Amino acid sequence: MGVTLIPVGFLKEYTAGQDRLELAAGLTVAEMLEMVGIPPALVAVVMRDGELVSKDYQPQEGQTIKVIAIMGGG
Amino acid sequence: MRLYADSARCSGCRACLVACSLHLFGENNPKKAALAIVSHFPTPGTFEVRVCTQCGDCAAACPVDAIHQNEKGAYYVEPEGCTLCMACVDACPEGVVFTRPDVDYVWECDLCGECVEVCGPGVLWIAD
Amino acid sequence: MNGYGGHILRVNLSNGTITKEPTPAEVVRGYLGGRGLGAYLLWTEVPQGADPLGPDNKLFISTGPLSGTLFPGAGKMDFATKSPLTGGYAGASMGGMLTAEIKYAGYDSIILEGISPKPVYLYIDDDTVELRHAEAYWGMGSFALEKKLKDELGEEFQIATIGPAGENLIKYACINHDFGRQAGRGGVGTVMGAKKLKAIAVRGSGGIPIANVAEFTRVAKEAYRACKEAEGFEAWTRYGTMIITSWCDENGALPTRNFQSGSFEQGPNIYAPVFRDKIVVTDKGCFGCPTPCGKYSYSKKHDIYVEGPEYETNGMLGSDLGIGDIEDIARANQLCDELGLDTISTGGAIAWAMECYEKGILDREQTGGLDLRFGNAEAVFPLIERIARRKGWLGNLLAEGVKRAAAEVGQGSEKWAVHVKGMEQSAYDTHDATSMLLAYMTTDVGAHHNRAWAITYDIAVGRDKVTPEKAAKVIELQHIRPLMDCLGCCRLQWVELGLSLDYYAPAMTALTGVEYSWDDLLHISERVWNLTRMIWVREVEGFGREWDAPPPRFVEEPAVGGVTDGKFTPPEAAQQMLDFYYQQRGWRKNGIPTRETLGRLGLAELVGA
Repeated sequence: MGVTLIPVGFLKEYTAGQDRLELAAGLTVAEMLEMVGIPPALVAVVMRDGELVSKDYQPQEGQTIKVIAIMGGG
Repeated sequence: MRLYADSARCSGCRACLVACSLHLFGENNPKKAALAIVSHFPTPGTFEVRVCTQCGDCAAACPVDAIHQNEKGAYYVEPEGCTLCMACVDACPEGVVFTRPDVDYVWECDLCGECVEVCGPGVLWIAD
Repeated sequence: MNGYGGHILRVNLSNGTITKEPTPAEVVRGYLGGRGLGAYLLWTEVPQGADPLGPDNKLFISTGPLSGTLFPGAGKMDFATKSPLTGGYAGASMGGMLTAEIKYAGYDSIILEGISPKPVYLYIDDDTVELRHAEAYWGMGSFALEKKLKDELGEEFQIATIGPAGENLIKYACINHDFGRQAGRGGVGTVMGAKKLKAIAVRGSGGIPIANVAEFTRVAKEAYRACKEAEGFEAWTRYGTMIITSWCDENGALPTRNFQSGSFEQGPNIYAPVFRDKIVVTDKGCFGCPTPCGKYSYSKKHDIYVEGPEYETNGMLGSDLGIGDIEDIARANQLCDELGLDTISTGGAIAWAMECYEKGILDREQTGGLDLRFGNAEAVFPLIERIARRKGWLGNLLAEGVKRAAAEVGQGSEKWAVHVKGMEQSAYDTHDATSMLLAYMTTDVGAHHNRAWAITYDIAVGRDKVTPEKAAKVIELQHIRPLMDCLGCCRLQWVELGLSLDYYAPAMTALTGVEYSWDDLLHISERVWNLTRMIWVREVEGFGREWDAPPPRFVEEPAVGGVTDGKFTPPEAAQQMLDFYYQQRGWRKNGIPTRETLGRLGLAELVGA
């Protein structure tokens, strides 16, 4: 089962274009990012199944985590 | 089959109206659509979407039998038969039978689904 | 003309004459519409040296070809004028519904000339165009007047207004529309107030002609689907731009206490989830937008409705003032909206005054009795009112903008007047983000972020790096983002949701019947960029490199606390970034476009190079 990590948009540049990574559960989001090579500072939004969570959140088996960088504001 | 609208999700963008007019008339003109958005601002600050429920009151009211159902079961007005008497416009409980001076018949929703396709917040859907 | 309203409406407010002229095809071919058309008209019609508040300045209200069509974000328009705040080019973008309505009435631009002897409003109902008495409305707030005019004229009318701030010629007065949208920056509302034009009411019943309906519809529907399927769709549409508050705070970009820091200890109280839970009532979008960023809110604490706050206002009327209560920020936002003030400049001016007060440079008598400490929301609400009405010494001073205020007060306060070219900086602290600092230095209206937003890029490649690649990135963004302003659509579908840029040229080709490639569109955008630069060259004596100078705060003083604690950008680094920028833009070291660059962009004849 594990956890599915979805890097969105520009963050895919750090995962060789992969937009879906399957990882083992047991790490926080921040640790997952370090592991796959996405600088945590670039991640602005973390969504777990449609809900906003922080980078300290530890996903459980079967959950999907979307990580999003901000490219603009205003 | 009919169109449904969850007004609470509507953000008032009107893309549905433009998609509708392009389908019905081949024109980019939201004033020629077959559904309506009513804005309630500044208070309470909500949008209300009115859609055809396919109730059939328009057909019942038509004195010249110009309103029938298409293959999807949607009521539609035959342009050639319409006399612009406005009975259907008055009879419609949702206020979604339309006409205007530059069109010589009334029109209503034909269940094409274009509005559903362009609605971002998912206000609209077609079901039984 | 496919894709266009077809006419330019010229309204002479001095003598009341109103004329309709066909939109010149060769002009829109070269400048598209919106910001491009506004810049072209500003250059050609406003005489050099015009007083921004005088009869020779004009306000150009321009829709774009995509405005009002079936396209994601087709709800934007441009207000262009000579800025009373900066003395140079002002181009303010506004969303909502008005741009579509103006297109349906058949107009690509509305040119407001002269000065009306009495307050009037402009009434447009397709071909019927009238100037109507507005004395009874003079003094009204923007929501109040919009509601009144909709009740009087009909709900179908789209309304734009100025509030008391525009009437009282506050230098950063805005134009309001749709109960929560503004043309905010540079004093476009001030010019409207100087012309005694209180409101514009528009109803249009026509359609927009499309060259290839089937193809345009096909491209448009694909673009809508792509927006709805975007991975970031949910997060973005639920929170709007407020979603970036926490990230900015974590990364030292959230302006805190007049940009003394980029992190705010009360930050979590004003992050997006708190905002959504506490006050948001409805998602509210602009014309044609499937990804509504607007959040219409109700504050129980203050019993007010407001569309907002969005990120900029959250920063400039929140953390930048040391205020960490989302309902207080909403109230300050609502006051600015109703009175017709740009929230960014208002926040920047008040933050400067707060720092002066805390440093003992302004005393309680000068503040009119207000305890103007950072964090004191109860002092901010009355001060906003006083600015809008030029009441009291401080209100009147701040009404002039932070650059003039600091010049008047002196005592070193120029050092913490955070502006570029006289426009107060928007809500990104740039102590340690050299691309973003360069963006603020070179944006063509002053210190505004809408032309280029590069903070993620800075963090990705190294915040303090000084490289030609960084300058290239800023230039690239300065061509893409304002292109949307020329097209009359929003940039946020691309910026925030990653909507492919590949949709825009095919949409324009199918709409207008003119073959556009993406490179064609970018070339036009670069042309407009250089034209607005030349407007500054023409209007400001001695304009050049010094006017691109960064605010002293970021190049002389380290940030205090947070992730960027102790950091600042050495002035030589900022100047080096400028060198790289000018080189790549084809401008001379003094910041003026070369004759060769102007020639390449087809501007030589227009600007007399």
